[in-house]
Amino acid sequence: MTDTVLKLDNISKNFGPIKAADDINIEVGQTEFFALLGPSGSGKTTMLRMIAGLEKPDTGTISISGRDVTNEPPYRRGIGMVFQDFLLFPHKTVAENIMFPLKMQGASEKDKRENLQWVSNLVHLEGLEERYPHQLSGGQKQRVALARGLVSRPSLLLLDEPLANLDRELRKEMEVEIRRFQIELAIPFVYVTHNQEEAMTMSDRMAIMRDGKMEQVGEKFSLYHDPASQFVASFLGSPNAFEGVVSSVEEGIAQINWFGHSIRARAHDGLQPGDRAVCYVKSEKISMLESGGALTGVLRDIIFKGQYADYLVSLGDGHEITVSGAPMTGLKKGAPMHLDWDPGKADAFRAQGGAQ
Amino acid sequence: MTALRIGKGVQILLLAALYVFLYGPIIYITYVSFQANSVWPFPPEFTAKHYISLWNEENYHSGFVNSLAIGIGTGVIASVLATMAAVAILKYRVRRSVYIAGLFLMPLFIAHILIGVSSLMFNKMLLGLPGNIFSAILANATYATAFAFLVVVAQLARYDWRLDEAAMVFGATPGTTFREVTFPLIWPAILGAFIVSFLLAFNNLEISFYNLGATPTLPTLAWGSLRHGVSEELYALAALINVAVFIFLGVMYVLLRTGVVRLDYKD
Amino acid sequence: MSSNKRLFWWLVAPGAIFLILFLILPLASIVVFSFWRTESYTLIPDWNLDNYIRILTDWTYIKFLLRSLSMATIVSLICLVFSWPIAFFIARYGGKFKLIYLLLTSAPFLTGEILRVTALQQILGPIGVINMALSTFGFEPIQALMYTNTATAIGLTYLWIPFMVLAIYLSLLNFDFELLEVAKVNGARPLRAFWEITWPLNRAGSAIGVVLVFIPTLASSITSKFLGGPNGALYGNILANQFGSTGTWALGSAMGVVLFAISLIVLYIVWKMVGDLKRSGVTIKGGAEL
Repeated sequence: MTDTVLKLDNISKNFGPIKAADDINIEVGQTEFFALLGPSGSGKTTMLRMIAGLEKPDTGTISISGRDVTNEPPYRRGIGMVFQDFLLFPHKTVAENIMFPLKMQGASEKDKRENLQWVSNLVHLEGLEERYPHQLSGGQKQRVALARGLVSRPSLLLLDEPLANLDRELRKEMEVEIRRFQIELAIPFVYVTHNQEEAMTMSDRMAIMRDGKMEQVGEKFSLYHDPASQFVASFLGSPNAFEGVVSSVEEGIAQINWFGHSIRARAHDGLQPGDRAVCYVKSEKISMLESGGALTGVLRDIIFKGQYADYLVSLGDGHEITVSGAPMTGLKKGAPMHLDWDPGKADAFRAQGGAQ
Repeated sequence: MTALRIGKGVQILLLAALYVFLYGPIIYITYVSFQANSVWPFPPEFTAKHYISLWNEENYHSGFVNSLAIGIGTGVIASVLATMAAVAILKYRVRRSVYIAGLFLMPLFIAHILIGVSSLMFNKMLLGLPGNIFSAILANATYATAFAFLVVVAQLARYDWRLDEAAMVFGATPGTTFREVTFPLIWPAILGAFIVSFLLAFNNLEISFYNLGATPTLPTLAWGSLRHGVSEELYALAALINVAVFIFLGVMYVLLRTGVVRLDYKD
Repeated sequence: MSSNKRLFWWLVAPGAIFLILFLILPLASIVVFSFWRTESYTLIPDWNLDNYIRILTDWTYIKFLLRSLSMATIVSLICLVFSWPIAFFIARYGGKFKLIYLLLTSAPFLTGEILRVTALQQILGPIGVINMALSTFGFEPIQALMYTNTATAIGLTYLWIPFMVLAIYLSLLNFDFELLEVAKVNGARPLRAFWEITWPLNRAGSAIGVVLVFIPTLASSITSKFLGGPNGALYGNILANQFGSTGTWALGSAMGVVLFAISLIVLYIVWKMVGDLKRSGVTIKGGAEL
């Protein structure tokens, strides 16, 4: 990457016996919105705190704009950050909160005023400058926190689950806004979240973390459609999982015997016939046919979700499969269902603890 | 349900009894301090003569100044040391910091008379220092630090240390962070610690007594006067000290409750 | 060492060094002096065990020690029994008045021992208001209030009960009162619920309160001097005498060491009785409401 702003090389960090970061390598470019996605305890927040300088990695280097900052304290890294719970200074007004980074840099009064003006226009906070944090609504606090992060025009903005404490509607609105700020400022945003929808909506690229390890890094589309590991396949979207024994592998497509049904998917992990494998198929990639198909069953229930619906299909042997699709009015409970999918859109991995 | 109500009633009654027990003597002595007949002051016969004789007693003037010096000296040492330690322990959460906390609370579990006589002998025998106001300040500051530590820790338990991290990320050095963020938010706790340690040292007898040599303070003068049968200006003194304590605690209450800075900030 | 650890030690060091220099070293020094001997108001480094032998074999010292021990035990128990319902009420029903209740409870403590004893003398003594009222209205005065150990016990309770209330209150702060409702739903009557839930979860607070009352009461000298009368002297008075009129500092040091040792033993016993401190409510963060 030629315009790299943030570069993490071989970062590792242990808290006692717990590996919070295990040999992490990340590069984030000048205009990128980069999401760090993972379940809680996956080490994504530790990652962000290390970039900010609030934690020190045990090994590895962190550089920002080509400068090695691994041993620099947070206050010399020249970054902006938006914290979970906002963390506004309760004894300072909105204006004082926003201008805090400039004050720390020793900016002139004129500079501070100009930047305050600019950033309050950007995040729509005009007229609230003299209020105290406790006089603001949740959404307003969020905007102040963003303004404080952006006001010094940092080379990099870090965001730690900034939307976790907002209600759903506000969250949707802020997702769009945050993306707008990033495009307007053309600086990289590194965004930590456990909410994949948030990550998908805003980011260009994302990294998926688990137990301190980077499972996969890449464009959000390729992560979603071409998962490289079992964890990523199971984590993104709402996939159905089938575990069985591989009967054959041909041209990269594995044939898996799942309770007598024959299931096909792309083979990963060098699967060989006889291996135990688990296959993931995202619910919207399963198509409902008039007849035939790999699996047949009856419609047990329809969960209507507005723009789409989940169809719960019982296979008769007790297994159940979820299929997502456009809401249809014609289907009734108990109707016979024929399911199939393009094997190039399903992925099979070696099952944990399965035969080698 | 009725048993619960009775239980609550008994509790209220006991709380009221405790206050009568604690404040009865204080209120009575304040009343007596204005009475001509201090033994059986009924019916009341008001007078200010005890206050006048307290004022005319030169000893009490220097006693007051010395007590003030001990109180302020102890208050400053104790609140500064205790705040530093409390911030360190609560902010950095270093492993085994509980032992440090134990060290700072230890003076609570040592009888004052032991602190008094041990520092008397230590100063005199090993350091060759005679008793004076400075040795009294140092000895008082040991247990006052424990009280100050308790007050600060109790208040700071609510402080959100991530605010300090936020300041650091936005370019504030540790020093600036303390000046800009931590101190403006925690100063009521520090002032509270100062008030408590000031009052304890100002009114201390057992420690000051052994470390003062011939320097008089209000409590040592009161002790001397009580030893020779009560002299009546003591009532006036007790009434005045009680009023002072109440004013200080009132200040503390207002600070903790209605101040601009609220430590209970947390969404 | 990480920069956080360094900052931690820089912040903690001044206080720690101060306490070691001016508290722990002096206390250690009296252990040394206790093995010396006093001659005409000076300490002679002539190592011997005479002071301890005297304290532990001479009936006078043992008698005063036993008297102080029983005084401390009784006063601690009285404080414990009365403080529990009071602290419970403040923690449970105090609401926005909690701070006022607590300040009102602790305010008298800050007045200092000597002035509080002066005030108590006006109430309890032979010419105190209680007995004056009785004789004025033709009743017999209450002998127990006039220069007796009972008067001392009342005085010591008066002095130290704020500590007990505070200690129990602090442990109750972290106590989830809904647990009591759970107990009641499951059939426990209030007293039973207290015994099964509240007490075991908060006994650490009680233990700390007991120690905080026991130790100063055991060492008490001022209260017993002015409320106990000539026959009410306690161990603390005898100890104080060694540093006053008689000037036998070495013997006084040994008495101090004995007092300190007993304090440690009591601390240890109470600690053992409390058992697993983690299961009970007291944490250092407890005092959020103080």
